[in-house]
Amino acid sequence: MSLLDLLAMLPILILVFGGTAILMAGAWFRQPVPLLAAGTVTALLAALAAGTVPPPVNEIAGLFSAGGYARFYTILWSLLAAAGLMVASRYIIEKKIGPGEYVSLVLYAAAGMALLSSATHLLGLFLALETFTLAFYILIASNRRCALAAEAGLKYLLMGAVATGFMAFGIALIYAASGTLALPDAVVRLTTETGQLQAWGLLGWGMVLIAVGFKISLAPFHLWTADVYMGAPAPVGGLLATGSKGAVVAALVGVLAMAGPVWNDLVDLIWLLAALTMLVGAFSALSQKNLKRLLAYSSVTHMGTLLVGLLCQTSEGLAATTFYVVVYVIASFGAFAIIASLADERGEPMEFDQWRGLGYRHPVRCGVLALILLSLAGLPATAGFMAKFAIFDAALKSGYVGLVVIGIFASVISFAFYLRVTMLLFQSEESAPRWHKGTAPEHAVLAVCASAILLLGLFPGILFNLIAQVLP
Amino acid sequence: MTASLPQFPWLTLLIFLPLAGALLCLLHSKRPTDCRWLALVTSLAVFVVTVFLFIAHGQGDGRWLLYEDAVWIERYGIRYVLALDGIALLMVMLTAFMQMAAVLLAWRVERHVASFFALLLLLEAGLMGIFLAYDLVLFYLFWEVALIPMFFLISVWGGVNRRQAALKFFLYTLVGSFFMLIAIIALYQIHGAQSGVYTFVIGDLLQTQLTAAQEGWLFAGFMAAFIVKSPLVPFHTWLTDALTESPAAGSLDLTGLLLKTGIYGLIRIAFPLFPNATANFLPVLGILALVGLFHAAWSAYHQDDIKRLLAYSSISHLGLVVLGLAAWQFTAWEGSILLMVTHGITTGALFVLVALIRERTGTHSMQELGGLWGQTPCLAFMLLLFSLASLGLPGLANFAGEILVLLGTFQQHPVWAVIALIGVVFAAAYMLRMIQGVIWGPAQKERTLPDLTTREWLILLPMAILVVWIGIYPEPFLAPLHGTVEILLAGGLP
Repeated sequence: MSLLDLLAMLPILILVFGGTAILMAGAWFRQPVPLLAAGTVTALLAALAAGTVPPPVNEIAGLFSAGGYARFYTILWSLLAAAGLMVASRYIIEKKIGPGEYVSLVLYAAAGMALLSSATHLLGLFLALETFTLAFYILIASNRRCALAAEAGLKYLLMGAVATGFMAFGIALIYAASGTLALPDAVVRLTTETGQLQAWGLLGWGMVLIAVGFKISLAPFHLWTADVYMGAPAPVGGLLATGSKGAVVAALVGVLAMAGPVWNDLVDLIWLLAALTMLVGAFSALSQKNLKRLLAYSSVTHMGTLLVGLLCQTSEGLAATTFYVVVYVIASFGAFAIIASLADERGEPMEFDQWRGLGYRHPVRCGVLALILLSLAGLPATAGFMAKFAIFDAALKSGYVGLVVIGIFASVISFAFYLRVTMLLFQSEESAPRWHKGTAPEHAVLAVCASAILLLGLFPGILFNLIAQVLP
Repeated sequence: MTASLPQFPWLTLLIFLPLAGALLCLLHSKRPTDCRWLALVTSLAVFVVTVFLFIAHGQGDGRWLLYEDAVWIERYGIRYVLALDGIALLMVMLTAFMQMAAVLLAWRVERHVASFFALLLLLEAGLMGIFLAYDLVLFYLFWEVALIPMFFLISVWGGVNRRQAALKFFLYTLVGSFFMLIAIIALYQIHGAQSGVYTFVIGDLLQTQLTAAQEGWLFAGFMAAFIVKSPLVPFHTWLTDALTESPAAGSLDLTGLLLKTGIYGLIRIAFPLFPNATANFLPVLGILALVGLFHAAWSAYHQDDIKRLLAYSSISHLGLVVLGLAAWQFTAWEGSILLMVTHGITTGALFVLVALIRERTGTHSMQELGGLWGQTPCLAFMLLLFSLASLGLPGLANFAGEILVLLGTFQQHPVWAVIALIGVVFAAAYMLRMIQGVIWGPAQKERTLPDLTTREWLILLPMAILVVWIGIYPEPFLAPLHGTVEILLAGGLP
């Protein structure tokens, strides 16, 4: 690895070394606020570096890309980490969690997600995936006094282990079939061979797909999602629901952009997964009585919709998918951030009964939550609509009429459950108790989320133009 | 689009003025009285603008009276196009007019005043957008955005079953509009593949060459949205619930304006875009309209709750409007559009009166009402006036529209016209039954009820004047329609 490679990795290095420095400092220095501030600044610096320092080389050690697409996601995940830390500050202080550990783990997770989004090599993909998954194992269970969090951590660990197994085995099979782990070749070489070799490769890719299914909770591999989201502390849940899934989808976009006709053999399978995921997610969400569980199933539906975009394999489909990822990340993280900002010594408001009438106690934050939910549902004038519009447009162009109809059907159902929550926020004001009034950093994050949702809903061109420039 | 001088964006103003008012209301949420005045001033300003447009452009020859065009989302060829023709002009004026009444009617709302008026103004902005948008995505945006304020108005300020009603209202119309969305995207892609120009502007999409099957499917997609919204039987059940549970100002906007968007969509979008499918579908539409007319009139006759009765009467009247459109004849179309406007005013006024009765007596039930003539003569007179207008008494507003619809329809389909005439007689039956139950007869209780206040006069008097004016001399309101209707019937757009 040369000096140029290191320079190209600058944003990642900032995240990793910054995280390590904060971890070390945290061993002696237990004041949470400076450590959190340092962590936030580190993450923002990484984003800045990714945006301003042009990479001298295009590929780092043959494992990771340093191109525009990789940088795009590096910025996104760094900003997400910064927002995650801003939202977590009160939580860490109140629950007396070691600030050094927490901050460094979030930064490591961001580094892992950034690497995953830029992987060009199956080994790099595997390493990056494990990096942030490990960080999440700890983060989910970071509140050691909470049994629910411990349960969630354990569930995530078990499911993660299974997924890792599938991933490793799948990669091994692909290697056996193609003789390489470098990404374009690992796909392309399978197609030129015939017979047995390709079957092994296909099996390998199928296993990778299953591992991906676990990670981004595609039905029927989604069963862990609701339990883990419910148990995980809201600031961690926010990262888990957005970054950990978005990074995997980003990696898939990278793979697909290079993939050839080998995916033709998988198309039917992905079609089925997408349809099943959208429907199962929507119907399961319908019967939930807990906001975090509802958000979990909503994320399942959204992953199904993203799969539709991936399936298109056109540049439009990939652009739409990338747009959708960004919009989903903003909205979904915002929802978790609101839960975190309301949490107090009673815990987090989760059950629907706790949300009833809250709109009259905390009008601004509940108003933002309503906006976020409507964006997740896909109401026009919010970013969620443009995201769905872009996906469905690409899918219709590619001829997936059936999937679009299923997707729209799932959208109708989504409207039903998102609206139920929205309605809940503004009913029977008398009984609603007050929750925490929130801190300035929390409000700042929410303000950014809300403005981004409206801005991207009304002027999506800003983001689309950027995506068009960076797409591989 | 045209190289004309940059003109003042009046149409944009019509949408953004209420929007600004809504934002200001939210910012002054601590001072309810300010919000009321703010809402009133905003809606008054919007109305003044529409009247100005009417005076300046009311004699159009059928081309666009005003047209605004700007690039919006370049990637998908989505443009910000607003266009005003004669029909839109009438609808926009009606919206602004009804909005003032709604604000005045809601004056005494006490719960969350700022939010209430903000939602009311947001609804106005959405409705203006629906009537003016000339790009399908822009239209879809307003179409959906208008649902949200209505949803909250019903679900927060509504009656006992408000939540179910609100959800039903939203989901019914949503399902319809999702079909429309698929059709919009499909049409866009077909047009783009043919011409290489990807656009959502309705005028450009007119040139798309469609096979019969394509046209049928796309037409069905649009019809799903418009028929549910209109609503034609059997997709009308959401309306009776929504109208019954909605707060007074909400019912007013719902029946007076929101229902008209469905029919407006038929006229402005579905018919011109898919002429062949329309021609095939017209007989079905006519029969649906007749069935709706009778079914709703029959149901109205059997209601005890006067709010529900009026809800059914709305459906029945809109059946007549759609019948006129289905006749595809100049006079009938003008009648239909005029009836749309006058129905908005008369039924709107009746909903106002029901709300006033409710405020005084606490009930909607005819069994518990009666004898209002003796207790509140002015209110009772107004109820009588608007009921008579609603059942189509000559010399009052609805008659002008109804007679045109019937005359026009008779020329094309005499049988339809005869059947419809019987339906109109039905309207007289249930309206008279309502008057009998509410105004005449012995008073149920000895009580002293206050008569109309100044504010209530301010709501009702302009409506009454309009009802008489249109009834006697409808020409000024028909004038902007002549050219537009002629062009639409010829299968074009201005």
